[in-house]
Amino acid sequence: MAAPQVHHLFHAPVADHSFSADRQTLAVARDTSISLYTRPSPTSPTFTPTASLRGHDKTITGVDIAPRSGRIVTCSQDRNAYVWEASPTGEWKPTLVLLRINRAATGVRWSPSEAKFAVGSGARIIAVCYFEADNDWWVSKHVKKPLRSTVTAIAWHPNSVLLAAGSTDGHARVFSAFIKGTDARPEASVWGERLPFGTVCGEYLNPTAGWVHDVAFSPSGNALAYCAHDSTVTVVYPSAPDQPPSAIISIPTQLLPFTSILWSSETEILAAGYDCGVYRFSGPEWRLSGTLDTVAAAGGGGEQREESALNMFRNMDLKGRSGGGGSGGDDTRLKTVHQNSISTLRAYEGGDGEEVTRISTGGVDGRVVVWTL
Amino acid sequence: MLLLDYQNVLIESLLKDRFAPGATPTSIDQVVSDFDNVTFHISTPESKTKILVSLAIKCYPELAKYGAEEVLQREYGSLIVQPENGYDFSVQVDLEQLPSSDEEKTELIRKISLLKRNAMAAPFEQAFDEFASLQEQARQYTSESAPQGVREGGTVRAIHYREEEAIYIKASHDRVTVIFSTIFREETDRVYGKVFLQEFVDARKRGVQNAPQVLARDDPPLELQGIPGLKGGKGAEGGVTYVTFVLFPRHLTPQRRAEVISHIQTFRDYFHYHIKASKAYIHSRMRRRTADFLQVLRRARPEAEEKERKTASGRTFTVKS
Amino acid sequence: MSQSLRPYLSCVRSTLTAALSLSNFASQAAERHNVPEIEAASSPELLLNPLTVSRNAEERVLVEPSVNSVRVSIRIKQADEIEHILVHKFTRFLTQRAEAFFILRRKAVPGYDISFLITNLHTEEMLKHKLVDFIIEFMEEVDKEISEMKLFLNARARFVAESFLTPFD
Repeated sequence: MAAPQVHHLFHAPVADHSFSADRQTLAVARDTSISLYTRPSPTSPTFTPTASLRGHDKTITGVDIAPRSGRIVTCSQDRNAYVWEASPTGEWKPTLVLLRINRAATGVRWSPSEAKFAVGSGARIIAVCYFEADNDWWVSKHVKKPLRSTVTAIAWHPNSVLLAAGSTDGHARVFSAFIKGTDARPEASVWGERLPFGTVCGEYLNPTAGWVHDVAFSPSGNALAYCAHDSTVTVVYPSAPDQPPSAIISIPTQLLPFTSILWSSETEILAAGYDCGVYRFSGPEWRLSGTLDTVAAAGGGGEQREESALNMFRNMDLKGRSGGGGSGGDDTRLKTVHQNSISTLRAYEGGDGEEVTRISTGGVDGRVVVWTL
Repeated sequence: MLLLDYQNVLIESLLKDRFAPGATPTSIDQVVSDFDNVTFHISTPESKTKILVSLAIKCYPELAKYGAEEVLQREYGSLIVQPENGYDFSVQVDLEQLPSSDEEKTELIRKISLLKRNAMAAPFEQAFDEFASLQEQARQYTSESAPQGVREGGTVRAIHYREEEAIYIKASHDRVTVIFSTIFREETDRVYGKVFLQEFVDARKRGVQNAPQVLARDDPPLELQGIPGLKGGKGAEGGVTYVTFVLFPRHLTPQRRAEVISHIQTFRDYFHYHIKASKAYIHSRMRRRTADFLQVLRRARPEAEEKERKTASGRTFTVKS
Repeated sequence: MSQSLRPYLSCVRSTLTAALSLSNFASQAAERHNVPEIEAASSPELLLNPLTVSRNAEERVLVEPSVNSVRVSIRIKQADEIEHILVHKFTRFLTQRAEAFFILRRKAVPGYDISFLITNLHTEEMLKHKLVDFIIEFMEEVDKEISEMKLFLNARARFVAESFLTPFD
């Protein structure tokens, strides 16, 4: 396994990040602006900043680059969302989206079809947005019921109709986000057959009613996973519409809660969060099977060794008078690659029907890391 | 400077300068403060060669009652002049009539700089004398047959030398009891004071066996029964503490009495001085510890992760992102 | 380190580490606001159960977590009047410098001597694990500092008393 590629961009949280399909461009949400990075040459391992998208006036909570059209959608705690399109001259032009929400937007994702995107919000609303060609703007339809609290996460089903959402009321839910005229009628699935907009296709409560941090559909779309603040990852296998699911498997861990999950295949889930590392869960019996970080520790060794003398003296200074208590080791750096919580986990290579082979993580420490599975 | 000086250092150095051979007489007009709200005025009202030193002390009427004038007369004799307006007692030195020998000059300087000590010494001297006579009387009786006065000791001499604080002196046939009443303005002072007093109380149990016995309490001690205007006691406010020194006959011998009187006078100021000094020290210690804590917290900043690059002038480079 | 201190501190450490799982969470109650929910307490679902870690009747730590902020309050050991006054002075000294300490709350929660308010901004700006280290180190050092100051005061008092009384000897 290759060592992870670490891109330490700045000393500020990376709230969300997104690579373009060709992996030449990286969009990073940094406070109230989006920083765009590109590779100086197609084979370069590093990124250099090229542009900054400004328009939001509060913390940006979500950014997503549409793989085919290259459009960038962003949303922020200022209640707005913009769709950015590159003009022929390379300038990025924003278009305001009429979200009609009166609280912060918490996240945004393009549907796989790229005809729609969904925005979660603190107004107990999911805004499903689509382009209205007649008026030449992006409009939204709201999913309200039965959301009772801030929507923390959203994820699209591969069919671009079903939408999963996690919320601070401890529920993970699956809705239909079918927009007439934009979407083709979806095939019947385990989630349902006829799916008018707003249909609740599934509703699952975390046993401790912990805040749900992230939701994700399996590559086939026939299973749903969500992670909650009680440090569990739960996998749901629905059986048929209006039937109890055939299985709900909750995997408890001794780790800190996960904030982001990703299916790499039907039998593997990756999760990352407050423990600063990426963990691997294996199915179909589902258990915590390992971490990606052990490899990382060896890879980052050189840098650590270089710092150790400095840290030793620093510790002597720190702990010297207090005598005991100090572990004696290097405790300034965490053993993990990320030095602070990981906020998002995304597919870097693969996905969209294929097995995910590389993933990227963005963390509060200002790092974006690409991992090979 | 652990123990306080008995004399007033400022007067001492000022006179030393004037008395030095070859010093040209100049006019002086200086007000000097001492402990316990005592004020000195040093001036040359008549001519540059005649230095007038005046003393103002709050409790002078009380001191006079306990024989201060006799003590001062004895100490200063011919130097005494009519008290300056606004002051209680004045002495005058004529630079043209200084004693010739250096020893005598030094002795004169010492004497004048001890003006406050000598004024305050009067009630102590009286009490010590009274002790001597009571002791003498007591020899003639057995403990059962002693008349009331001998057993109970003499009257209490009270010196209200500060706004709310006083010294009480009482002689009896086997001891002289000196009681300081003192006030703590702040809770912190009171607590620190308690720690200090405990050590004064315990000192005899350790090395200093022959020291006077020290007692400290918040309510007036029995010796002061019947004295009007005492604060403290159960439920009282204001943080009054009574510190009792019991001087035993060995402290009261004529050879030692001058030294003992000088020394015990400084107790109150010595005590408060060290409380203040400890407070200041602990404050600076907290300041230092706070800086340490800040340093630990600063290390939580991720900038510390990287090697900080600084120029010689201490400016930090910013890495372009 | 005394026998019971280590488990006490390690318990506080784990509690804090878990409690510091904070996110950037905008207010549900007020538009375009982002406030520490533990202080605003506008929505019970955003608050987690407060937890008290006690070493004994005198020493305890209260950890009150929420979705985007944690309040940590420490009750420092005060065996007697002197320790009480020293703790009071020291905590007051620190809170007067709350500006420099970022995470220090200007007012302690009732029943405690000193409180910290850690928000997601702090965990983002600073390394999470170092913040925990700081609180633990603070707890360790504060106890030590108080007892050292007390020892100093006693030693000084003894020296002062003996110096004064020795001339009588």
